[in-house]
Amino acid sequence: MPSRRAILKTAALTTGAAAMSSCERTISSLSSAFGQSLPKKLSPAAGTEIDPEFHLLSRAAFGPWPGDLERVKAMGRSAWIEEQLHPERIDDSLCEMRARRFESLFFNEGDAYEFKKSVLRNELTRHSMLRSIYSRRQLFEVMVEFWTDHLNIDQEKGDCIYFKPSDDRDVIRKHALGNFHDLIRASATSPAMLVYLDGRSNRVTKDNPVPNENYARELLELHTLGVHGGYTQTDVREAARCLSGWTVNLLKEKKGGGKRGPKGIIQRFQAPARGKSFFDADNHDNDEKNVLGTTVPAGGNEADLDTLVRIACSHPSTANFIARKLCVRFVSYDPPASIVQRVAAEFTRTKGDIKAMLRLLLNSDEFLAARGSLLKRPFRYIVSSLRALAADTHVEAGRNSHGPLLEYLSRMGHGLFQYPTPDGYPDEEAPWMGTILWRWNFSMALADGKMADDVIVPLNDLDKALGTKGSRDQIITRWWSHLLGRQPTANELKSIASAADAHQDRGNVRIAKAELLGVMLASPAFQRC
Amino acid sequence: MPALTQLLVNGPAAAQAVSTHTLICVFLRGGADTMNLVVPYADDHYYNARPTLSIKASTTVKLDARYGFHPLLQPLEAAFKEARLGMIQGVGTDSASGSHFECQDQMEHGDSEKAPSAGGGWLGRFLRSRADQSTSALSAVAIGTKLPESLRGAPSVSVLEHIGDIAIKAPSGDPAAVVGALRAMYGADVTLLGQRGLQTLDLFNRVSAMNNTSYTPANGAEYPKGNSFADGLRELARLIKARVGLEVACIDLAGWDTHFFQNSTAGSFASNAQKLAKGLVAFETDLKQHRGDYTVMVTTEFGRRIYENASLGTDHGRGFCFMALGDKVKGGRILGNWPIGAMDETNPIGPGGIGITYDYRDVFAEVLAGAMGGIEAANIFPGANLKKMGLMG
Repeated sequence: MPSRRAILKTAALTTGAAAMSSCERTISSLSSAFGQSLPKKLSPAAGTEIDPEFHLLSRAAFGPWPGDLERVKAMGRSAWIEEQLHPERIDDSLCEMRARRFESLFFNEGDAYEFKKSVLRNELTRHSMLRSIYSRRQLFEVMVEFWTDHLNIDQEKGDCIYFKPSDDRDVIRKHALGNFHDLIRASATSPAMLVYLDGRSNRVTKDNPVPNENYARELLELHTLGVHGGYTQTDVREAARCLSGWTVNLLKEKKGGGKRGPKGIIQRFQAPARGKSFFDADNHDNDEKNVLGTTVPAGGNEADLDTLVRIACSHPSTANFIARKLCVRFVSYDPPASIVQRVAAEFTRTKGDIKAMLRLLLNSDEFLAARGSLLKRPFRYIVSSLRALAADTHVEAGRNSHGPLLEYLSRMGHGLFQYPTPDGYPDEEAPWMGTILWRWNFSMALADGKMADDVIVPLNDLDKALGTKGSRDQIITRWWSHLLGRQPTANELKSIASAADAHQDRGNVRIAKAELLGVMLASPAFQRC
Repeated sequence: MPALTQLLVNGPAAAQAVSTHTLICVFLRGGADTMNLVVPYADDHYYNARPTLSIKASTTVKLDARYGFHPLLQPLEAAFKEARLGMIQGVGTDSASGSHFECQDQMEHGDSEKAPSAGGGWLGRFLRSRADQSTSALSAVAIGTKLPESLRGAPSVSVLEHIGDIAIKAPSGDPAAVVGALRAMYGADVTLLGQRGLQTLDLFNRVSAMNNTSYTPANGAEYPKGNSFADGLRELARLIKARVGLEVACIDLAGWDTHFFQNSTAGSFASNAQKLAKGLVAFETDLKQHRGDYTVMVTTEFGRRIYENASLGTDHGRGFCFMALGDKVKGGRILGNWPIGAMDETNPIGPGGIGITYDYRDVFAEVLAGAMGGIEAANIFPGANLKKMGLMG
C-alpha cells in the first residue's frame, strides 16, 4: 500500500494538471485503492438480535461500510468511539480531496454572491452527502447533521443561501464536537442566522424602542432552554434587548448605509464587507437588562451578547434540553430518564463538552438496549444504503452528478437545508411516512444499477465477499445479515425468497439478484436503525 | 373505467381512499397580458392604447357591461355564467423589478418586499403546516420535470409528467413479486411504519389500476392533443378521481412573454389563450361528477403594459387579472377596480400597466382558505394583512 504522501502527490498532480471533471474518475479509483474498497471476505453478524457493533455503526456512523464491522469488533466499541471523538487524528485526506470540487463552499459570505443560487443549493447538499458517505470521521458527520437541525437555517429564506455555506463551515463543522457554548456563540453572529431569524433587523433606538424578538425567542425556545425551560415572555424581550444592534451587511457596495445621527443629520459610516456580521452600537439597547434572573449591567455593548449566551447555556434547563435531544437522536424517541439525566449531568459537569456527553451516551447500556428502534430519516436511509454497498458516487463529475440522489432526497421530503421553520427536520416517524414509495423506488433503482451514471455498486465483488456458495436461503441470510446486522426472521426470509422465486424460473440471474437486494433495502427493517 | 371504480368501491383499497379537496395552481409563466384575456371592451382608452393588438368589442364574449372574454376563451363562458369562475382585476406583487425571475420568485415564496421572507414556498408552508395529518405520497404533485418554488419545503412533492411515473419500478419490469414481498413484510410489522407501508401499497395499486386501463375521459371531455398543459390536466383529473389524497397540484402554461408580434386573435398569444380555455374546459367536463373536489386558480407573475410597443407587442407591466374556478368560488363576477383609473401608467414605482389594487397574498390566502379550509393563513403569509376579497364562498 503506498504511503499517504504518495497518494497526495498523485492527487496534486491530477488536480493540478487536469480539469476537475477529468480527474474525478482518477480520484474515484484512488479511493477504492486506498482503503474505501471492499475487503475480500466479509463476515456479517450472525445473531438473531442486531449485533452491538453493527448498532453502534448504524447510529454513531451513517451505517457500516463493508469491513467496518470487523474493524470495530477487532478494536472494541469503546476504542472506536474514542477514535471517532478525535476526528483530527483520523486521516480523511481522500474525502477532503473529493470535497474540493465544491468550490462555492470555500468562498467568504460576500463572495458567494458570485454563484448562481442553483449552484450553491446543489453544492452544499452534495458536499454533505459526499462527506456522510465517504468520510472516515463518521461520528463527526453525524454530529454535523445533528447540529444542522438544531440550528436550522432554511437557505431559501432571503439571502441565507449565500451565507449557509460559511455557517456550515465556521459554525456547525467548527464546533460539531467542541463546546456547546462556543457553538451557540458562533451561531448567534453567523450571518446566515442573523438573516434567517431576523436578528439583523433587531434595532433598538429612540424612535423604535421595540426590539425584534425572533432570534431571541428561538435562542431560548429551540437552541438552549427548550420551550418548557422556564423562561418568561419578559426574558425573551430582555434577551432581544441584549442582542440588539448585531446585524449583517447585505449591501453590494461598501459605501455603507446612512444613519440618522444627533439632530437628524444623516451620517455615513464605513460598513464592513458584504456578508459580514457586525455590531452597530447606535442600534443597541445599552441600558440594564435582566435575563433569567441575572442582571446584565448597563453599558455592556457588544459583550451583552456573550453574557446572554453564557446565561442561556449555563441554565439547568439547557443541560436537560440538549441531553434529551441527543438521546432522542441516538437512543429512542422516548429515551429512558436515566440516560437523559446522566448526559445532562455530564453537560453540567463539563460546561457543555459535546465529546464528553457523546462518550457517556454511546458507551451506555441504554444506548445498547435501544437497537433498531429509530426510523432512518431519508438522508440516513440513502447514505446508509450507499455505504452498505460500497457504492461509488461521483463517477462522472459535473452538474448532473448526484442528480438522481438529490432528486430522491427531495422526493422523500429531505432536500437538505430547506426546512422552513427553525425547529429543523423532525426526529419523529410520522412526518416521514408519506414518502415510503420513493424509498422503495430508490432501493430498486440502486439495486438495479439504474443510477449508473452517478452511482456504481460493485455487486459482483460484494457477492464474492459474502460468499456465493450455499443454498438460496443461506445466500439470502448472508446478504440480509450484511445489510441489517442480524439474521432474517422466518417471515422475512420467506418474503425475500418469494421475490427471488418469481424470477428464478425465467433464468435471469441478474434480475433476480437485483430484486432480492431491492426488496431487502425496501424492507421495513432497513428503514430502521 | 370499470376496473378502477370497482376497486374503489369494493377493493381492499377502498377503506384507505383519501377524500380531500385539491387546489390546482395554474401559473401562466412569462407575464400574461390578461388585459387581452379579460378585455375591458367598454373602455376607449384600451382601444386607443392598442391600435393593433386590441380585441374588437364585437368579437369579445360579453361577461358584463364592461368586460368580455377574448373570443378563444369562449369555452369558459359557461363556468362564468354558472358563477363557478370568478376574477379579480388589479392583483400583483410589490416587486417593482419588472423581472420575471424576481416576481415569480416572490410570488411562489409568498414573500413581499415589506415583510421578512418566511422560507420555502407558500404551498410548501401550507403542506408542512398540515404534515401531521395523513400525508400521502401524492399530497403534492407538480406537473413537469422541475420542482416549482411554490412547493419548496413541502413534506413530499412528486414531480411528474404522467401518472405512469407513480410506479414501483421493479428491476424485472413487473412489480408483482416485489409488491408481494413488501406486503408480506410490512403486513407483519405492527408499528406505524407497517401500517403506512401497506397504505402506500394500496395507493400504488389504485394508481397502477389506472395505468393499466387506457384512460377515457368522462362525459366526452376532449383534452386538446399535443400540448403538455392539457396532458397534465388530464393526469390531474385522473388523480382527483382516484382519491389518492392529492391536496395541491402545480401546473404551468408558459410562453406569455409577448414583447413582439403579440397579435390579437391569431398567433402565439391567441394559441395560448386557446390552450388555457380548452384545457380547463376539458378538465371541467371530465370532472363533472367531482366538481366539489377541486379549485383551480390561474395566476401569472405580472400583467403587461397597457400601450402596445413599436414591435406590436406589450412590455412588462404590474397588475393582472386573477382567475379562480370551482364550486367554492363565488364567481360570475369580476371584482376589483376598473382598470381605467390606473390606465395612465402612473404607477409610482416600477413598470406601468394596470395598477395594483390587491396584494396577491390576500388573494392567494383567500383561495387557499376557501378551498382547503382550516388554515391559519397568517402563518403561511406572515406579515400580510390578508384583506377579504369576497372571491370565495
